[in-house]
Amino acid sequence: MKNTSAVAVRKGVLTAIILIFLQLINMTAALGAMLEKMITSAKSVKSVSPLFYGVIVALVAFFIAFSFIRSLYRPGKPKPTPLYCLGESLVIGLVSGVLIAALNALISTLNANGVKIRTYLDMMAPDAIKTAAFGREIPVMIGIYLALTIAGALLGGLIAWIIKSTGQPANAWAALQRAIAENHTIRFIRRNKIVRILVIIAILIFVFALPFILSPYGISILGLVLIYAVLGLGLNLIVGLSGQLVFGFVAFYAIGAYTFALLTAPKPLGLEFSFPIAFLVALAISGLSGVIVGLPIMNLRGDYLAIVTLGFAEIIRSLVNSNLLADFTGGPQGIKDIGQPRQPGFIESLIGKPMPENIYFLYVIMIFFAVTLYIVYRLQYSRVGRSWEAMREDETVAQACGVATSYYKVLAVIIGAVIAGAAGALYASRNTYIGPGDFVFMVSVNSLAVIVVGGMGSIPGALIGAFIIKGVPELLRDLENYRMVVFGVLLIAMMIIRPEGLLPIRRKKIYAEPDKDLEILKKELKP
Amino acid sequence: MTEKTPKRTQHILETEDIIINFGGLTAVNNVNVKVPYQSIFSIIGPNGAGKTTFFNCISGFYKIDSGTVFFQGRPINGIPTDEVANLGISRTYQNIRLFSSMSVIENILIGQQPRLRSNSVDAIFQTYRNRREEKQSIQKAANLLDFVGLSGYANELSRNLPYGAQRRLEIARALGNNPHLLLLDEPCAGMNPHESDAMIELINTLRSELKITIILIEHDMKVVMNISDHIVVLDHGEKIAEGTPEVIRNDQRVIEAYLGSETETLVEKYARRKNQGKQAE
Repeated sequence: MKNTSAVAVRKGVLTAIILIFLQLINMTAALGAMLEKMITSAKSVKSVSPLFYGVIVALVAFFIAFSFIRSLYRPGKPKPTPLYCLGESLVIGLVSGVLIAALNALISTLNANGVKIRTYLDMMAPDAIKTAAFGREIPVMIGIYLALTIAGALLGGLIAWIIKSTGQPANAWAALQRAIAENHTIRFIRRNKIVRILVIIAILIFVFALPFILSPYGISILGLVLIYAVLGLGLNLIVGLSGQLVFGFVAFYAIGAYTFALLTAPKPLGLEFSFPIAFLVALAISGLSGVIVGLPIMNLRGDYLAIVTLGFAEIIRSLVNSNLLADFTGGPQGIKDIGQPRQPGFIESLIGKPMPENIYFLYVIMIFFAVTLYIVYRLQYSRVGRSWEAMREDETVAQACGVATSYYKVLAVIIGAVIAGAAGALYASRNTYIGPGDFVFMVSVNSLAVIVVGGMGSIPGALIGAFIIKGVPELLRDLENYRMVVFGVLLIAMMIIRPEGLLPIRRKKIYAEPDKDLEILKKELKP
Repeated sequence: MTEKTPKRTQHILETEDIIINFGGLTAVNNVNVKVPYQSIFSIIGPNGAGKTTFFNCISGFYKIDSGTVFFQGRPINGIPTDEVANLGISRTYQNIRLFSSMSVIENILIGQQPRLRSNSVDAIFQTYRNRREEKQSIQKAANLLDFVGLSGYANELSRNLPYGAQRRLEIARALGNNPHLLLLDEPCAGMNPHESDAMIELINTLRSELKITIILIEHDMKVVMNISDHIVVLDHGEKIAEGTPEVIRNDQRVIEAYLGSETETLVEKYARRKNQGKQAE
């Protein structure tokens, strides 16, 4: 028991460290403001009210105490008594309260004495210090902090104890899953073919209605997410399936985008091809670039490949950025007025008026996404996809099993390049403007992140990953400056909780009845 | 084996003076073997004798420094490993090397790679060829799984199989290639007597029913003496003896290679040390 008290003190220190860190980067206030915005539904909150600031402080203590008390319930150990739980929570609250109050007392005193804290701690403006002190005198402030952390921790401990001792909601997740597995309606949907088709139709109708439901902002985000999903599917073939680390994936994306842009824009080449022709040429050129990159790297493995492709991407970016080629590529200014697909006539006659541009384009992206999905799915669950996976697992053995590794490597790079080129052309057409700034190294990193987060080699994973990498930062806009901090924390947490990705690759079940006849096998095995 | 020079076609595999060096070390030195069709041919020798290196030379993992490997009368050294597999040479590995995060049946489907023809275009458009080939290869994989006694495991991940099952899966994967020649690298390593008996039976069936020639590396003398038609003994990369199990069993050089020529002096040395230790107490 003495041992766990020491742990409780440590947890208290941890709470204090988190609180201090949050305060020093002024995130407590930002989170408080976000909470206030949500609850009071105010449009914007200039300075957070002390109430919500306090709630955030208490919440931190609450979660630490909650998880600590929960962790006391281990199989084989005696169940802690409620009084003991409360005592431990009290320790956490007390320790963290004292520490955070001490920090604030120090800062407030220094501030009162005219020390410019801002020169040392960027975020600690006098206003922020005042907010952190709840606008009160130091002794009152210390009391408030102690009260907040202790109350938060006690509540956390209490709730953890209630949950653990009643055992009801603790297994709620497992219970829910069991319920889903045993539920007759869901089983009915899974088994019954007609119902399944109806459900699929309902989903399709929803997907088709989606562009009309969403706001223009939502449409633009969804478009970007889907383009990244296409990009992710392409990279998935190369990295997730065939296991080759390609760092410069943006090169193919840029080649597709620039080919399309140059062919359709009035300047600098003045070709102004129509969408389908330019799109097909863009696919062909990016495929060709795949061959050019693929052939020399045919016999490279692992790290070398990453470096070569990284170099290739930089070459492409420098080329389009250079003034030398500005007459052909637009140089640093980029390319304007890139062509868009024309709406076929039947849409207008069907709904009476032309569809809004952004909605129509979202449909175009959706169609290309669906086509890519189909191709990738077919490839993955075929002889080709299996060979790629075998190469990823063990290249030497795969080759000894008869997989022509050089061929399959180049094939993966080419198909991935074509898909990336398609994504690039769509991006260019959607934006109507592209410049060298659109094809920086971060695009490669993001597309890698898409498949790592979603799950290497998993097709639905690429969609989920694209949503998380491109969609979630937009949802987090309310956090303003802390957006990327929270996003980073989310990514780290996700990779700790699910290292294999959110939707890891699922093996397709293959069934066949053995013939149980040696004669048939003999015939089959005739060399 | 007759004394006169045999025709190439009488032997499925023949090596002529193959030498392979790793830096200053000669791992395989002038080894000549002649493996007759449909035989079980064993290679034995102490650890580090160059047995696995010899396998790697045949299957094309290593480039040999000099000499020639003939497979069905045709030189095969220098060609890539996937083409060696296409010719009908399959192998297993000393430390099991399955595609561990793929399912059991997928492992066997990969093994059939050299016998499949459909390509990526077939796969995307689901052509007739693709569907027929997929169906046939899955059926064959199921039959192979049944043959090695793993039919219940088809959709398990191969890394989750028990050890002995993984060994048998490796053999099934190698069989997917419809091999003429199967190289088995210590198939009975780490097995209990019961399991090795089952393995012996499996290997015998491979030869008698499926007409496959087998080259075997094995440390378990019971297995080797039981099933081999012919044995070659390697030591320090050189062939020191060759013949039927009876010949090898009584060969003085083989005994020395395994136990060391100074075995007795070593025993004496340890006995002396032991005595010294007792006196010190």
